[in-house]
Amino acid sequence: MTFASPAWRMAWREARASAPKFAFVIFGVAAGVGALTGVRGFSAAFHEALRREARTLMAADLTIRQFSPPTPAQDAEAAKWTARGARLTLITETISMLGADDAAPPVLVSVKAVDPSAYPFYGRVRLEPGAALASALTASTMAVSDDLLLRLNLSTGSTVKLGNAEFTVCGVVRFEPDRMTGSLNIGPRIMITRDGLDRSGLMIFGSRASHRLLFKLPQPGAPQRIDVQQMRDSLKKAFPEAMIVDYRETHPLITRALDRSTTFLSLVSMIALIVGALGVATAIHAHIQQRLDTIAILKCLGARSAQVIRIYTLQTLLVGVAGGLAGVMVGAAVQRLFPVLLARYFQFESIPWNPSFALEGMAAGTLVALLFTLPPLLAIRDVKPALIFRREMAEVKPKLAARLRKQLPAFAAAAVILAGLGGVASWLAESFRMGAWFVGGLAVALLLLASVAWLLLRGLRLFVRLSPFRLPVALRHGLANIYRPGNHAPSVLVSLGIGVMFTLTIFLVQKSLLKEVMGAAPKGMPNVFMINITPRDHDAVREFLDSRSDYLAPPRLNPLVPVRLLSVDGKSPDEILQPPPGQPPGQRRRRGGCVRQVTWLEDRPEDIQVRKGAWWRKDDTAALVSVSEGTAGRLKIEPGMTLRWNSTGRDFDVRVAAIHRVQSVRPGADEEFLFNRAALAGLPAQYFGAVRLAPAKVAGFQRDSYRRFPTVTVINAADVMNIVQEVVDQTALVIRFVSAFAILAGAIILASTVAGTRLRRTRESAVLKTLGARRARLIAIFSVEFAILGATAGLMGGALATAFSSTLLTRFLDARFQFELVPNLVTILLTTALAVTAGWLASIRILGQRPLEVLRDE
Amino acid sequence: MPSQPVLSLQSVTKSIDTGTHRVDILRGIDLEIHPGEFVAVMGASGSGKSTLLGLLAGLDSPTTGSIQLDGDEISRLGEDALSELRGRKIGFVFQSYQLIPTLTAEENVLLPAELAGETGEQAATRARMLLTTVGLQDRLDHYPVQLSGGEQQRVALARAFMRKPPLLLADESTGNLDSINGRQILDLLVALNSQEGATLVLVTHDRDLAALATRIITLRDGLVVSDERKTPE
Repeated sequence: MTFASPAWRMAWREARASAPKFAFVIFGVAAGVGALTGVRGFSAAFHEALRREARTLMAADLTIRQFSPPTPAQDAEAAKWTARGARLTLITETISMLGADDAAPPVLVSVKAVDPSAYPFYGRVRLEPGAALASALTASTMAVSDDLLLRLNLSTGSTVKLGNAEFTVCGVVRFEPDRMTGSLNIGPRIMITRDGLDRSGLMIFGSRASHRLLFKLPQPGAPQRIDVQQMRDSLKKAFPEAMIVDYRETHPLITRALDRSTTFLSLVSMIALIVGALGVATAIHAHIQQRLDTIAILKCLGARSAQVIRIYTLQTLLVGVAGGLAGVMVGAAVQRLFPVLLARYFQFESIPWNPSFALEGMAAGTLVALLFTLPPLLAIRDVKPALIFRREMAEVKPKLAARLRKQLPAFAAAAVILAGLGGVASWLAESFRMGAWFVGGLAVALLLLASVAWLLLRGLRLFVRLSPFRLPVALRHGLANIYRPGNHAPSVLVSLGIGVMFTLTIFLVQKSLLKEVMGAAPKGMPNVFMINITPRDHDAVREFLDSRSDYLAPPRLNPLVPVRLLSVDGKSPDEILQPPPGQPPGQRRRRGGCVRQVTWLEDRPEDIQVRKGAWWRKDDTAALVSVSEGTAGRLKIEPGMTLRWNSTGRDFDVRVAAIHRVQSVRPGADEEFLFNRAALAGLPAQYFGAVRLAPAKVAGFQRDSYRRFPTVTVINAADVMNIVQEVVDQTALVIRFVSAFAILAGAIILASTVAGTRLRRTRESAVLKTLGARRARLIAIFSVEFAILGATAGLMGGALATAFSSTLLTRFLDARFQFELVPNLVTILLTTALAVTAGWLASIRILGQRPLEVLRDE
Repeated sequence: MPSQPVLSLQSVTKSIDTGTHRVDILRGIDLEIHPGEFVAVMGASGSGKSTLLGLLAGLDSPTTGSIQLDGDEISRLGEDALSELRGRKIGFVFQSYQLIPTLTAEENVLLPAELAGETGEQAATRARMLLTTVGLQDRLDHYPVQLSGGEQQRVALARAFMRKPPLLLADESTGNLDSINGRQILDLLVALNSQEGATLVLVTHDRDLAALATRIITLRDGLVVSDERKTPE
């Protein structure tokens, strides 16, 4: 291979001859870039999978819901988007009575009229018998929920009457993707076509119905693209009274899972990259240390510092690109490996290899490797050609000002590194704020570690000098090795400390995050709900619930009390909710003073988090309420305030005890206001039941319930809850998996960082052996040195990781932080073990070398 | 001597810090070396010979005093200016050869020319010619580890003459070799020196080798204790 430029030629020749030594550097970059591209590629696919689930839950990418049919202006706005590639379908939901024959009384049903050729855009309506919705549902047929068949004693093929028209029952709706996002879920569900709705004559002027416009956006790769936010903003103007929801917020659990996993995964990839780069920097540093003679010779022969720096920069670049390429391959493998390993748990569609991630990974890897090797590269300037004559002897020490002046380029380099890393971090995390925190954390960590290294060196020197008793030889030599001039203990300590900090940060963050994520969908979360239970039926339903034993979690029977909020500390909600000038009142006003079905709770459920104030005691006799964070914000409610309510003509006051956050979704009662028993005592209540059953048991439960309590409606949310639960479980699994991968990669790189220092011990070992030291003694000396470095790095890294993860959790992941003593202690032990083992492994060859081989080379 | 000196030193001192105390290696050297001279610098170990050679080459800066090369003051030049000056005016032969282990014999010889931006065929031809002169025409592609000590030193000799420097500095250049190889190297050095017309400064312990020089300077404890010029026979 020939190169036109001498620097390139030199760089290539050197790299060619040092290929085995560079293997590690290439490995470092490859590990970092591999983790980055693999995790990013995988996380993109994972997000796509989550979003698919989110879209399934609303059967669309974006929905608009309002209580009046779209006006011509609104139709025109919707048409604007269909012209740009979006697809649209309309759903109308209403309540009506349905009869079978004169023998049975008609039943209140919840009617859903769809266009089966378009609906649902995502997911599938499962019918029994298993025909496709589009073929089974015609203008004269109807799909119904199984409880309707029970109530009216019908079967597939029976004829029923809805409004003015007769319909044939074509099947039972087993799964309806958007069941939980629709409205008017009262009574059994029936599904008809829009033509069927027209035929029924139910929709006349003024009919109460909810209209949903479902949009599907052009898919990635389609010629037209629509920005969902832009579309939403535009639609909001045309539909000011409507509720507009897009797939990013269908379900709070999925939204949070998405947000958190995005942040966490980009965090992990960034950390992987930095730990990889750290390994590279250490290796390049060691390489340049070995090349000091070559650099001195080059300078003797007329090379300027800039020329030499260019040679080694190009070399780093060569190695960086080689490592980057290897990393992209590793990344592609990782991206393929993840779904295979996780296939048992969930289904990924094939993850396409994304060249832009590969390029980004290469660019980030090479850039970070170059940034991190800046200090050793700049140190080339300080290599004096006279080194050939005189080794390891300092000049007369210059004055502080002169020393600082000399360090100016190093400070400038540090600034460039931090700014560059900040840029890469902001880019990867797509957040400038996160980039800034990341770099700030790194800078503080570097400063602290450098200070600790300085203190350690001086402390050890003092300890050895002032020690009143004679220390064993191995201990004395091991300690002296750390502080002797020319030793690289500070740089090893800083690299190891930073590596430990990042690796443990991943562990701590994932641990806290998992706790939150799992808490959001507790295993016992109900999936079947019974509504409309009257006080008269309460005891019987309780008995019915208690008579069964096939629950996955204890059943709950909670009261529902209709209440209306009158005032907050004397101010009416309307007063507080005065819309900003120019904005129509509409929704905001409705939310303030509407009738709510509220419940009381004694103990705080684990998916409810208190953000302010305190939850009540079971035996509290004062009337208390806890308000959800969002509502408290809107109505400006704080703990200690008094809320006045009205229920069935009776006014009562309640004190705000707490502000809470609901982590999961529990249909049934209003979750914006949760009362204690004392607050709602004596008020007329209805009840709702919530149980968790295996999906296969739900139909039987529904049948039994209907037989005993015909007026009680059972809502089967098992399938929907399954999706939610799966998303949460999958997120947790991915977080665990990616963390384990990153931690493993981090440990390997850290071990290599320690191993990279072996070269400087070669000569010392040779001299000690010549003087009669046996291998066991050499091993003891190295062990003392590495154990101290490892323990200090573990301790400092642990402390820094605790601080860093607390910042990340509270500021970026919206999660709580808790100090973890055990992981910190384990980290110290593991880092010590890792440093000592890596030191031993790296020293095996040195220990086996004949002293003369080494000394002759000097 | 009527000609302008190639090297001129006035009151040159050099001190270093060992970490615990300060060591004065050179304690005031005044010296002039003229074009075409073959100077041997002698002295016991620790007398300051190598340090002096390093200062003459601009590899290091004196603590005090002045050094002029070809009339230009070099003692206060920056690192890069010194590098450039060395590349242009000085050839080196070291005791431990100081070849770059990752380059072949030919690449090592070519290196000074490449660093100066001379990368054409002319440079390659000269490198091969010099290697042929030192008897290594069939070792061009060998790496230093594949060569014997004597062969490595010949490569170093060829490299020192690559850019036709007016001044050649040799530091114990035969010190690592047996007497036969050592003598061969010195003969080659002297022959090449007279062929290329350079000034030669040789640091050595060996009185026999020093006897070949036209001038012998002896150092002791950082001071010049004798400066003998041989009268032409």
